[in-house]
Amino acid sequence: MRSSTLIASYLWKDTWKRWFEQPSSPLARLFVTGLLVLVATAILVAFHLMERTLRERLERFGLNTVLVRESITPDSRELINFGDGPDRLAPLNDSGRKLRLRQLFVRGQTEWQNNLLVFTYPPDGIRFLTDYLTEETPMIIFSDSLPEDALVKVNVNRQSLIAQIRRPEGWIRPLVAEDMLLVPQGTVPDEERLGYIDTTVFQRNPDGVSVSNVVSAVNALYAAERRTPPQVQSALALVREWEKLKDKQVQWRNILAGVLGLTLSLVYGSIAILEFRQNLYVSALLRSFGAPPRYLYFRHLIENAILANVAAVAAITALALLHSTIFGTLGASKTVVDLRTANPYLSPEMLVILSWVNIGAFLSSLPVAFGLRQPVGSILS
Amino acid sequence: MNASSDHAALKCSEVCYRYVPDQPWIIDHFNHAFPPGIILIKGASGCGKSTLLRLLAGYLTPASGQIRTPLGGGPLEREYQRRQLGFVFQQLNLLPLATVMRNLTLAGSLAGLSSSEISERAHKWLGLLGIEAFAGRLPKSLSGGQQQRAAIARSLVKEPLVLLLDEPTSGLDDLNTRVISRALRDYVTGNRICIISSHDARLEPIAHEILDFNRFLPVERHLEALV
Repeated sequence: MRSSTLIASYLWKDTWKRWFEQPSSPLARLFVTGLLVLVATAILVAFHLMERTLRERLERFGLNTVLVRESITPDSRELINFGDGPDRLAPLNDSGRKLRLRQLFVRGQTEWQNNLLVFTYPPDGIRFLTDYLTEETPMIIFSDSLPEDALVKVNVNRQSLIAQIRRPEGWIRPLVAEDMLLVPQGTVPDEERLGYIDTTVFQRNPDGVSVSNVVSAVNALYAAERRTPPQVQSALALVREWEKLKDKQVQWRNILAGVLGLTLSLVYGSIAILEFRQNLYVSALLRSFGAPPRYLYFRHLIENAILANVAAVAAITALALLHSTIFGTLGASKTVVDLRTANPYLSPEMLVILSWVNIGAFLSSLPVAFGLRQPVGSILS
Repeated sequence: MNASSDHAALKCSEVCYRYVPDQPWIIDHFNHAFPPGIILIKGASGCGKSTLLRLLAGYLTPASGQIRTPLGGGPLEREYQRRQLGFVFQQLNLLPLATVMRNLTLAGSLAGLSSSEISERAHKWLGLLGIEAFAGRLPKSLSGGQQQRAAIARSLVKEPLVLLLDEPTSGLDDLNTRVISRALRDYVTGNRICIISSHDARLEPIAHEILDFNRFLPVERHLEALV
């Protein structure tokens, strides 16, 4: 048998015996690594899920969409004088698609007792709603949950209407924060006279002015008329939030990597030094037989690497198995926690964690490398 | 000493060594050529016998001076360490988790011997040392004398050119000492050098040369040794 096989077999037996006699030594390393990796993975996965949630919101909202809301109260001068009110955002017509709606201060209710926001659309809005309108009714219920295409009876105050349920898609989607009823202007005139929120959904042309310029333009238009600035909602805030989250993610990844590597190298290093001291004589004896010191060094390195990787992979696997339960309980949506869409446990972040676990294991073996430089003669005295 | 034996000798010239800086030298400008045969180093405890053996084995590095092995190089030379050097420590010579035979196999294998050579030599030396029956046993199940004989067999399986033994019969009875003496006599043929550090007078009959290490001690250490 080759000497390397014999040494490896002896060292394995020695390691196994040591584990068996002092189970606290491998168990402590497994536990510490498992716990640290579990925490680090959970934090990184949480970031991943937050990022996915934001991305989902961004996708729903649309990168090129701007929503402008302004309250028109019953005592508003323009409601009394103009009825329809001037379109202050008319200059945006050339830069993209614009649909102006009114959100009334009333709620509708379906025959199934679902509460609905009530919006009205102007006659020129029909061209943007052709995909949703059918010959059966000019009234639409936008909902993600109610049965699609069903015709349903809706009550707005004491007025009864028939509307068809549709799924909101594309640039209309940002309007639909919850189930809403969209009816032609003048369908519920009494309610319209109570005031409304003038709501404009605008989608810029991809090669037109930027979203930030649109937002600035809207604010400037209102400022020119010395009016209270409207509520402007765009993807800009989401993008900023997303970028901030990504920065934070990188920061945390670096912090976690440092903590993981340092803690593991300290814990494993301390145990390795203790065990090296316990086995000093046998190591020296093997060296006196002619066994190269690198074998003895690699024994510590491999032992630490095996324990660290087993614990890390076990922790990651355990978290992956309990993923939906843990993150579902913490409030993440079903689509976000679905591992079939994107699996954070197979992402490069996990490789970063495993790399740092191995760096920790390597650093912990350095004291052994120094210890092995001690002359055999001074040990075996 | 003739020219050929001088060439085959293990030589020390101006060797100095101390374990701790600023302490007196344990080995102070030591000059000696160890010719083939059995050389017994005698001396009081602490006089530096074991330290000298470790220096000759390359397990310690001299602070100054030079050691030349019969191969012509220094004691750290790979071929000397791997193949031509055997060392028996005062105690704990065997790997505790390996059987006696596995200890011998490992030592032989590290010396680059083939399996058949290892097997043949292991049986020969275990037989000569009277412990062939214990080949499959772990060291902890052997008596002190049996363990020491197994340790010597472990060193002899390489049939090295230089065999260094540190107090090999310390605490052993006459029977064990006789068995070990006979095995060492059988081993030392041709150019082989066997250096034994011991104050056991029972080993004197097999020695070709006795080196009284006390004479290298400074006067004050002599007094300390006497006290």
